[in-house]
Amino acid sequence: MQETTPAPRNPTVSEKLRRLIISQEGVLFLIMLASVLFLATRTDKFLTVDNLLQQGRFMTEIGLIAIPMTYIIITGGIDLSVGSILGLAAIVLGWTWQELGFPLELAIITAIISGTVAGFVNGLFIVRVGVPPLIMTLATLALYRGLAEGISEARSARGYPEWFFQLGQGEFLGIPTQLWLLIFAVIIFGIVLARTRLGRALYAIGNNETGARFSGLTVNRHLLFIYTFSGFMSAVAGYIFVSRVSTTRSDMGTGMELDVIAAVVLGGTSIFGGAGSVPGTIIGVVLIQLLKNGLVLAGVTSDATIVVIGSVLIFAILVNNFIQSRRGEG
Amino acid sequence: MTDALLELRGIDKRFPGVRALKDAQFDVRPGEVHALIGENGAGKSTLIKIVSGVYQPDSGEIMLDGAQVEFGNPRESHSAGIATIYQELGLYPELSVAENIFMGHAPTRKRLGFNTIDWEAMEAEAEALLAELNIHNLDVGAMVGTLNVGNRQRVEIAKALSLDARILIMDEPTAALTESDVEQLFSIVRLLRERGVSIIYISHRLNEVFELADRVTVLRDGEYIGTKNVAETDEAELISMMVGRTIKNLFPKQAAHIGEVVLEARKLNRPPLTRDISFSVRAGEIVGLAGLVGSGRSETAQVIFGVLPAESGEIRLNGQAVRITRPSEAVDYGIGYVPEDRGHQGLIREMTIRENTSMAVLESVSSRSFISRAKERALANGAIRQLSIRATGPDQIANKLSGGNQQKVVVSKWLASSPKLLIMDEPTRGIDVGAKAEIHRLMSRLAAQDGLAILMISSELPEILAMSDRILVMREGRLVGEFTREEATQENIAHAMMSEEARQAAGAAL
Repeated sequence: MQETTPAPRNPTVSEKLRRLIISQEGVLFLIMLASVLFLATRTDKFLTVDNLLQQGRFMTEIGLIAIPMTYIIITGGIDLSVGSILGLAAIVLGWTWQELGFPLELAIITAIISGTVAGFVNGLFIVRVGVPPLIMTLATLALYRGLAEGISEARSARGYPEWFFQLGQGEFLGIPTQLWLLIFAVIIFGIVLARTRLGRALYAIGNNETGARFSGLTVNRHLLFIYTFSGFMSAVAGYIFVSRVSTTRSDMGTGMELDVIAAVVLGGTSIFGGAGSVPGTIIGVVLIQLLKNGLVLAGVTSDATIVVIGSVLIFAILVNNFIQSRRGEG
Repeated sequence: MTDALLELRGIDKRFPGVRALKDAQFDVRPGEVHALIGENGAGKSTLIKIVSGVYQPDSGEIMLDGAQVEFGNPRESHSAGIATIYQELGLYPELSVAENIFMGHAPTRKRLGFNTIDWEAMEAEAEALLAELNIHNLDVGAMVGTLNVGNRQRVEIAKALSLDARILIMDEPTAALTESDVEQLFSIVRLLRERGVSIIYISHRLNEVFELADRVTVLRDGEYIGTKNVAETDEAELISMMVGRTIKNLFPKQAAHIGEVVLEARKLNRPPLTRDISFSVRAGEIVGLAGLVGSGRSETAQVIFGVLPAESGEIRLNGQAVRITRPSEAVDYGIGYVPEDRGHQGLIREMTIRENTSMAVLESVSSRSFISRAKERALANGAIRQLSIRATGPDQIANKLSGGNQQKVVVSKWLASSPKLLIMDEPTRGIDVGAKAEIHRLMSRLAAQDGLAILMISSELPEILAMSDRILVMREGRLVGEFTREEATQENIAHAMMSEEARQAAGAAL
């Protein structure tokens, strides 16, 4: 503890570097680096440009949804319905195109609007009726999935035109198309969270909702927005999903909410709210995806892979807790 | 202090940022009802938590039966025969009355070589215990969750007796009870007293003190004010003990030029604690709002600030009728509110001074919704200098500051928004004398130099008297008195705060 007030001065470069390395994100990044190096020694198919780009393709959907999930968890909330919204949006896309005869462009827009509305409904009940987010989105987890199944009647839509696959299977400047989308989203929404009034309000709400309200922040409006945003991003991810796998089925995105939440929490966002960042989340997403892929390539069975991933999650969180608590004392 | 069963002497207890108790004392004799009273934050709860072993005092001693004891945890206090009945009852709603009473010490009997609960004995003993308390209409097999609050409280009392409690602590026991439940509670309390159980009775309802207690001890701001025999005191004396501190180093208020009407409230209604409230505050004026706890002062402030929007009535700001339905609207209209509960409502304690001071003015420190750290830091540094906040810098976490400095951060948040009207709810509660004087000086300067209209709620009459140009008094959700600075005295304000019955009693005595 410093008792006297030191003159304000700018930290030196080495201090900044030190601070970055022992930050939550820094520690996680080092763990990711170590995992990558380890996996590279197990198999030579892992650390190749092609494979890594391919993994970027696979993780885009989870990454896109993890951004609004980070926002929501920072406010102390949760959204369990993201996987179902993804499935609903996918089904709406296929159904409006194939059954209702919408032009495909309009079908895509309709799908994204449906997902957005689904998120808005979550937010409306959470804010206006006061249903706890866990309960509300647990209910819509079932409800939206049910809707998707009802609409699809167990039929799958396929036979999309060639241009439709550009987003999910194509490349732009040698990088999978959807990965560009994820990169832009991470940069933009990372800055929004870290630098704008919206981001500040989310941290304030997560730390002390009453205090935020008593400071004149429009708490309800912010909460409504982030749940709507979550629905929107889930629907966009749904569109990418359909484009990537060329077909539409009503069970798409089942269980995805847990992968997303795992990545967000691994990335250092506090499940109690008030702390977290988009860069942390994206490192969490990448780490989980690389572990999954690398272990499979190294010939580990899929059951064992899950066990290893679980163990790494626990290890990463323990190491981080240890370092962050030491930092608090120092 | 010869015949005390339990005696506390020189008790000190500090929490980060607050000194909850300083040199407090308290004693209870066998078979007496000893009331403990004081305003919110006076230290009553801290004191009983020390008696019940939840907190350990920083210094001071606890004597039980004349021998010094230490309660390291609630269990040790329990086994010494002290039981507490809290405001939030500690029962298991899914279990029966009998199970709750005997939780942890159920009668057992051997069956097949195992100790098993003897259900018949348990129910019989539970019935016997309740019968001792003159409770005959309570089924010991009923689930506690299905009982009303009054019955749950009786179960809790029976539980304490099943543990052979010699001292029973009751924390605001009537707060949630209906009238008939209150009467039954009183008769139980009298019954217990006859059986020699000592009762520490915490309340801020003075009529209960007069009805039940033998002696009464008053705490204020963590300090022991005095103990009286109930038969030898009256409501007026207790009120003046609770609120009538003479503050040393009280800052003399500067004379201010009183200008136009800034706030005008017309027949504001939001029952039960805001009824038909009409008043005004002018530029440069400090209006003091006095009243006992629960008289509706904070609620009225929160009606104006939009936390509890008015159901009817009109708020006019600078002559303009406005509708305020949420705090953000109040802030837009130029109202600031320094709330009573600093840690929960006033500050976001986990965040930095910088982030707290800019919280209400994020718009003005950002361009196109991007927050400028430089502008924020300048704002926070300005606040630190202007209010002499003792901190390591603008990026210090608010929670690490002392209570007085935390309060200054809350005030600086609202000053940054350059409000026309500042509502300050207990602006100096729980902060040390030095910081108190600084806040008073600041309020005085804001009114005199900047022409700010200030509505100040306070439970300390000397503070009200010293700081206010005009004084309003509330009781039971209504405005019941208005005094100019010249005509106000401790006596006439305290008199206005009192209940109707108490006033009649006081009148008859004259």
